Amino acid sequence: MTRLILTIAAAALVFIQPAAPELLFRDIAAQAGITFRHHAAPEKKYIVESMSGGVAMFDYDNDGRPDLYFVDSLTVDTATDPSAARSALYRNLGNDRFEDVTDKSGLGHPGWGMGVCTADVDGDGWEDVYVTALGGSRLYHNNHNGTFTDITASAGVGIPGWSAGCGFADYDHDGRLDLFVSRYVKIDLAHLPEFGKDKTCEYRGIAVQCGPRGLPGESDFLFHNDGNGHFTDVSEKAGVSDPRGYFGLGVAWFDPNGDGWPDLYVANDSTPNFLYLNQKNGTFQESAFPWGVAVSEDGAEQGSMGVAVGDYDHSGRLSLFVTNFSEEYNDLYHNDVDHFTDMSFRSKTAAISLPFVGWGDAFVDYDNDTWPDIFVVNGHVYPQLDRVRMGASAGYRQRRLLYHNRGDGTFDEVAARYGTILTDEHVSRGIAVGDIDDDGRVDIAINDLDGAPQLLHNEIATRGNWLLVALKGSSPNTGAIGAEITVTTPSGKQTSVVQSGTGYISQDDKRQHFGLGTAPEADVSVKWPDGTVTTQSAVKANQVVTIQQIK
Amino acid sequence: MIGAILLTLALQAQAPSAPPARAAVPDRAALLARAGEAVQQGNRAEAKRLLEIAGRDRQSVRALLQLAHLQLEDRETAAAMQTLVKARQLAPNSEDVLSAIAELSLAGRAAVPAILTLESMTRLYPDEARYSYLLGVALMGAGDLPAAIDALRKANTLQPGQRLTLLALGLAYNNQKLFTDAYPTLRKALDLDPDSVETIAALSEAEAGTGDLNAAERDAARAIARAPQNATANLVLGMVRLAQQRYPEARDVLLIAAQADPASPKPEYQLSLVYARLGDQASSDRHRQQYQEKLRAMEASLAALHPATRTPGK
Repeated sequence: MTRLILTIAAAALVFIQPAAPELLFRDIAAQAGITFRHHAAPEKKYIVESMSGGVAMFDYDNDGRPDLYFVDSLTVDTATDPSAARSALYRNLGNDRFEDVTDKSGLGHPGWGMGVCTADVDGDGWEDVYVTALGGSRLYHNNHNGTFTDITASAGVGIPGWSAGCGFADYDHDGRLDLFVSRYVKIDLAHLPEFGKDKTCEYRGIAVQCGPRGLPGESDFLFHNDGNGHFTDVSEKAGVSDPRGYFGLGVAWFDPNGDGWPDLYVANDSTPNFLYLNQKNGTFQESAFPWGVAVSEDGAEQGSMGVAVGDYDHSGRLSLFVTNFSEEYNDLYHNDVDHFTDMSFRSKTAAISLPFVGWGDAFVDYDNDTWPDIFVVNGHVYPQLDRVRMGASAGYRQRRLLYHNRGDGTFDEVAARYGTILTDEHVSRGIAVGDIDDDGRVDIAINDLDGAPQLLHNEIATRGNWLLVALKGSSPNTGAIGAEITVTTPSGKQTSVVQSGTGYISQDDKRQHFGLGTAPEADVSVKWPDGTVTTQSAVKANQVVTIQQIK
Repeated sequence: MIGAILLTLALQAQAPSAPPARAAVPDRAALLARAGEAVQQGNRAEAKRLLEIAGRDRQSVRALLQLAHLQLEDRETAAAMQTLVKARQLAPNSEDVLSAIAELSLAGRAAVPAILTLESMTRLYPDEARYSYLLGVALMGAGDLPAAIDALRKANTLQPGQRLTLLALGLAYNNQKLFTDAYPTLRKALDLDPDSVETIAALSEAEAGTGDLNAAERDAARAIARAPQNATANLVLGMVRLAQQRYPEARDVLLIAAQADPASPKPEYQLSLVYARLGDQASSDRHRQQYQEKLRAMEASLAALHPATRTPGK
């Protein structure tokens, strides 16, 4: 009898014990040896203290493992001491361990850092680094030995003012990678707009930092790569200089109209976004309004930050996901060949994003079911907000959003399904996605404005097959930036593009990840930036496949 | 379009209850009696003269309220407001006076005095649903939708099941793109008043926002059948037609929406998209220009309301 009672009690205990949440991500930053901390002023009294920083996942030492670079920023109080901010380069040692190689690399002190993008700018087969900053962005040349040299001046790509987003692409098909840089607000550190001074420095009746509305914006830059170590400013000639000074942030080079020429999307904060369509003659036509990607579905200018590009519906076309300010919604613009359609509410991604200020974003197939999901990090710009919790906005620290793709054009937001790893609140900015250990599961590095960064290691148990596709382009575009990869399985085709500059002023790993579901193999087709095509049939699943361009 | 709806909501709001009888000196009483007789005889000018004397020389708040009422009926809005200001000087905390000022301000689309007055009233009479409702409507007019939603939710809690409160709350939710909250709210409002065109139109907007384009199309068409010039319904139907790639039909209903609500940038933006799809770049550019001009004008008018509202700076 006693035994029976004990058995029943034990069964009852099992019954009432809450099911453990499914494991998806585990933050391994600390155990991996990442000790970086982004510097930030506690009160964020000035807008320059709220917008940094980016993060890059790229293989700086060509050992096949993606390394990490976190961008740090100064504050108004430390503005005159560049050593007060220390950006950090971490070498991936394998086995989920990283080593701080910043001091040797020479990438530690780019100044008041904002964002980062990487590319092999001189065709030597090694990735170089461009860091945007307040007071002068920098181009660092990779010396092939773990060190970098600042070649900003000789390359002619130093930009005054406040640069934010950047990205390389070969816009004129001369084989060399050109550079676009967005700039944000015109700011004079000696005459900063006074905290809470007027109506553009108030939020819900409380004093906050001023801007961006009410402050003058900055123009943008396009530099043509001349091929001799020097770039030439062609911004005005190309028609992408933004003379009105919209508040530029995230940048995405891709080819939405499929004409084989890279076009350019620029997320502008509180002003209409830009879509520059490549005219194939060295100039661009700004077309965001007629293409339906300038503003929200109902015509509101949103506070756009991050831009992600992905083929979320197996259409073979690259759609856009743009993160925005609170009480606005994140935009999912579906690519309809000659225009985009705002599918945000219909796709069920918009409503849940309304309370959050969104930053880094990416299409990631976290469970390898073949359907790209969407990951977004959030965090407000006003710490003062926590004193006045009014309206629909969340507080200063905010949770992440993970939209699971249902495969029918709609998404479920599933962050809470995976414990607190995604619902814990942070003040995040840039993210970089990629597979740090080649286990076929996409990992995510996150740079927080306040606090420690995270390295979310994907440990999902139930997952499909996968492929990681690494491209080796012909020199000088050795990274094959702009190449489109199409992977075909019985469940359909997936298309992805190799980009320099992703999400919010950050850099994803350039190797492209594809979930294959149950498919044991896939056909892989690469459309190289010069229009040539390479096809490999029946590529076995669950491997890193490297495809070399043959000329 | 929301401005017109707000005006309707304000005017439809329950009129202030008759001022309570006060102990009056004979002179006041006589003046009020004579004014009442003059109104009955159709001599409104004489009635106003007598009420003005009673207010000025006998400090009769009741006379001033009656005078404001007559002036409002005669569309002398500015004079009515002046009369009520005098009444407020005599009785600063009078519920009747404050209420009349707030409602008159709302009817005249003077959001700032309405908000200031109603914020006082909701503090003085925290259990009175009507004042929270009116405050919500005033805040909507000022573009402070989060605060409007707070006030309207309170009104709905204090006195549930009020059609106008539910409609205003639904409109505020729609404007904040909180469509999943708007939908059940507007359904309840429609249950209470199945023939309300504004409610049907607002419901169609919520349905479009939740992604149910079939329902949005059906309800927008219902609203248009009752009121062919309804701005919201035509805008929603236009957006549905745009999504269906039925561009000529989208253009036609959006032109009606733009005409019905000439201050709104929304139909202009949709028209810029439709003309772009139709390949008419010149018309697309023209409507984009109009959209941007109207957007700037709307922002300027909202900015002018500062600091009474808590419009965000970002």
